[in-house]
Amino acid sequence: MEGFVDVMFQPLEDFWRGFISFVPNLLVMIFIFILGFLFAWVIGILLKRVLAVVKFDIWCDRVGLTALIRKGDVWAKPSEVFVRILYWFLVILFIMIGLTALQLPTIDNLISQFFVYIPRAFSALLILIAGYLFAGFLSRAVLIAAVNSGYHYAKILAEAVRLLLVVLILAMALEQLQIAPGIVVAAFSLLFGGIVLALAIAFGVGGIDAAKRIIEKGGEEKKEETGEKGRDIEHL
Amino acid sequence: MSDFHQTDPIITLHRLGRAGLERIESEMVEFSKQRPIALVLPALYTEFQGEAIKGIIEELKKVKYIREIVLTLGRAKEEEFKKVKEFMSQIPYEVKIIHNEGKRIQEIYATLDRNGLWAGEDGKGRSAWIAYGYVLANGVSDAIALHDCDIVTYNREMLARLCYPVANPNIDVVFCKGFYSRITDRMHGRVTRLLMTPLLRALQKLVGPNPFLLFLDSFRYPLAGEFCMIADVARTNRIPWDWGLEVGVLAEVFRNYSPRRVCQVDIADNYEHKHQPLSAEDVQKGLMRMCVDICKSIFRTLAAEGIVLSDSFFKSLQVAYIRLAEDTMVKYEADAAINGLLFDRHEEAGAVEAFASAIQKAAEAFMEGPMVSPLIPNWNRVTSAIPGILDMLKKAVDEDNRS
Amino acid sequence: MLEMTEHVDKADILIGIASFNNARTIGHVVKAVDAGLMKYFPDRKAVIVNSDGGSTDGTPDIVRTATHDHAAIFLSHPVYPAHRISIPYNGIPGKGSAFRAIFQKAVEMGAEACCVVDADLRSITPEWIELLLSPIMKEGFDFVAPFYSRHKYDGTITNSIVYPMTQALYGKRIRQPIGGEFGFSGKLAAFYLTQNVWESHVARFGIDIWMTTEAIANDFKVCQTFLGAKIHDPRDPGADLSDMLVQVVVTLFNLTEKHYEKWKGIKGSMDVPAFGFRYHVGLEPVRVNIERMLGIFRTGIRDLGPIWLKILGSGDFGEIEAIGKLSGKAFRFPPKLWTGILYDYAIAYHKRLISSEHLIKSLLPLYLGKTASFIMEVEDMDNEGAEAEIERLCMEFGEKKEYLVNNWREGGA
Repeated sequence: MEGFVDVMFQPLEDFWRGFISFVPNLLVMIFIFILGFLFAWVIGILLKRVLAVVKFDIWCDRVGLTALIRKGDVWAKPSEVFVRILYWFLVILFIMIGLTALQLPTIDNLISQFFVYIPRAFSALLILIAGYLFAGFLSRAVLIAAVNSGYHYAKILAEAVRLLLVVLILAMALEQLQIAPGIVVAAFSLLFGGIVLALAIAFGVGGIDAAKRIIEKGGEEKKEETGEKGRDIEHL
Repeated sequence: MSDFHQTDPIITLHRLGRAGLERIESEMVEFSKQRPIALVLPALYTEFQGEAIKGIIEELKKVKYIREIVLTLGRAKEEEFKKVKEFMSQIPYEVKIIHNEGKRIQEIYATLDRNGLWAGEDGKGRSAWIAYGYVLANGVSDAIALHDCDIVTYNREMLARLCYPVANPNIDVVFCKGFYSRITDRMHGRVTRLLMTPLLRALQKLVGPNPFLLFLDSFRYPLAGEFCMIADVARTNRIPWDWGLEVGVLAEVFRNYSPRRVCQVDIADNYEHKHQPLSAEDVQKGLMRMCVDICKSIFRTLAAEGIVLSDSFFKSLQVAYIRLAEDTMVKYEADAAINGLLFDRHEEAGAVEAFASAIQKAAEAFMEGPMVSPLIPNWNRVTSAIPGILDMLKKAVDEDNRS
Repeated sequence: MLEMTEHVDKADILIGIASFNNARTIGHVVKAVDAGLMKYFPDRKAVIVNSDGGSTDGTPDIVRTATHDHAAIFLSHPVYPAHRISIPYNGIPGKGSAFRAIFQKAVEMGAEACCVVDADLRSITPEWIELLLSPIMKEGFDFVAPFYSRHKYDGTITNSIVYPMTQALYGKRIRQPIGGEFGFSGKLAAFYLTQNVWESHVARFGIDIWMTTEAIANDFKVCQTFLGAKIHDPRDPGADLSDMLVQVVVTLFNLTEKHYEKWKGIKGSMDVPAFGFRYHVGLEPVRVNIERMLGIFRTGIRDLGPIWLKILGSGDFGEIEAIGKLSGKAFRFPPKLWTGILYDYAIAYHKRLISSEHLIKSLLPLYLGKTASFIMEVEDMDNEGAEAEIERLCMEFGEKKEYLVNNWREGGA
């Protein structure tokens, strides 16, 4: 009879022991959460003051950051937006730290992965921004040069260059973010190679007749030119 | 029928022969293909509760050469803004309403303010200025016309004649101001008749021939609130945010453009809008504030031209003004008599006294702070200081109109 | 065989010749220069400075050894020829860098009057030396611009951009500000050397407009002199027009920025004193490919629309679209529109709307449209008629100057 009672109450006792050892960790986690919110709130207030002193809003206005924020239909001051982002970043950070207090291996693993991931996310963002600007610049250079050369398909060429660069930049950013890297590399190679092959076929095979016409026309022009008197116009 | 006298240095376009609304509108449709026109309407919500606006909208519905209407709505809450949006939706072409008190536009003003580009106090000047900004941001119109929303005698011909000189590519005009007579059973427009004209003539007596004074004096109705200009003027002119708006605009046009590219056009046989009370006792109120600001604007421009304005100058000016104003009253009395119009000499004389007092107040204000300037920075300056400000403004207005 | 002497410390006159592989033509140029010096400035100590860019065809040797017959130029007695120096130049390869070396030599030697001539000139005569130097030596001028008799189709960058803009901004009507041959005083050469421009486009094609504009804007005494026809070896047809346009126009706009305070208040323009006897010259016919120019212009409307809209605004762009639809002989590019475009580009350059190289290169299709229109307009006109069209364009530039001034200003002032 005594043995039966022991067996019945054993799981409860085990649970109670486990619970007693877990509660301090839970309390620490909650404490860290509360501390995190308070800390983020204080930092927010301090940062707001500092940003006001260094005229952060005016700087954002002048470098075009405000205009960028407004594109997203966000009408708060840039300093308020920045403070809010930082506030939530700190809150999330403290939540992560709080969760480690539970000392559960799975959670610990996830959190360390999260911290390792942040610099990658940041560099991926930089790659996207810089890449986007570069693609625009190069595409515009190609467009203007092609138009000035009298090339009829200047816009298509410029868009093709932009597309290729965008594909490259996206692949680089995804590679940084370690999102299915094997698939991204394969897909990029296929897509990039495919675009280049398509262009080669289009301009190579498809352009045979056009090239023939240009060569023939050039020959005729040359015949005309040798017959025609005079010299070329001097622009300068 | 009017005369065909040309007052130098600007071009004067008269109403001659029969009015040809169909002809002028069909020409405007052709011109507007090359030079699209935006119509800017600064308005208060209270005007939408009056009758004049209904007449204006009925006429505007039939206009076929306006590319877009930009209406700046002042002193309106969110629900009132929505009502106005609905009311304006009867116009069959693009209408955008700038909600001055809305959170987005207020944030635009705050952005300008913190960058040292204060857009002035709430008023017609600021409303017109922000509308110009939207027109420039939208980038589809090449000319901007502006008129008030309280014109009781509004008709389409006014608008067509106002826009014609700027829209016509064969007339090289950058700025065109309307003129008209304001007659009911009596002559109105006291500020123009009894302040502006005698004041300008008095100044010319004291200062001698001065290009700016000659320029202002050549306008038959310098305080008319109707004008049309090429978009470049909106970019380069600084607008006064105070009541000296009309004179201030002319001063800026004088400063930036050659007078032979400026014109005035007779836009109506008769023109009427709401009247403002004249209170000599309180310079902040009504017409008196306007008179003081007009005088300040003229004094400031003259000083910028190099004319020395001293206490003794202003004393002489007072005397000269009163003398000329009294002479002018006599002329208008004769004009009223021959045309069978009522003429209250006592009221006219009272107005002259009030205007003399306004000149004195303006002189005092000028002497205290000659550098104080109620000019909103021009859009060129604003866009160099804050890149993307026009895009922000466009986004704000488009979002306000979408929701 | 004349001995070349390298050891010349002082000279009254310095003639600079920039060269790069010009062995075919430089001999004639040196002989003409020598003859001119002997005939018109026999009592002055002169030196010919050949600023060479590393020629591999023996150009400097030709400079040293070229001789001519005194009797052929009516000199009854032999006169010592000018000293000749051949020097390499440093910096970015180009005419500007070559000129810098010449300016340096002029200052070192204390030359009172100098001039520069191209190494590939076929039409240079001894009289050119007198025409380029006498205004300086006898009349006290600091800068002498050339004035050639040119085919009405030639020099379109000058005729539609540089000349109208220079005369409108600075009020001085120098007809060919980028002619290529210039006379300048030693004082002006010293001034040129004080400017730090030698790493820019000034080092290449921009040197001509830079020399002319700096002379005018800094109140040096300027004049122009008629030299007759300018015939030179055909230039490299592969020379990229858009590159040339970029170098000249970027330099022009940089100078416009630099001298804003000077030109903003200037109204109207006046002739500069002119020397030389003007005469008509029969000129070689010029081939033009209007269809190609218009093709590029129309492609520009189609493909560069967003860029042009940003720079010019909807009004002017609308007009460009409208004229793009005109075909054949009906095509005309209104002078007013072209003026507005140039000024808008100058403003866009000043405000750094987009990368300056992209900006100016995007002007090329518009320039070609304007050129095609001009050629068609003056096809049946003589030179005087063509000149009248150019002067009409200049008037537009003058009338619209207030637009440039108003939109240039910042600060609301």
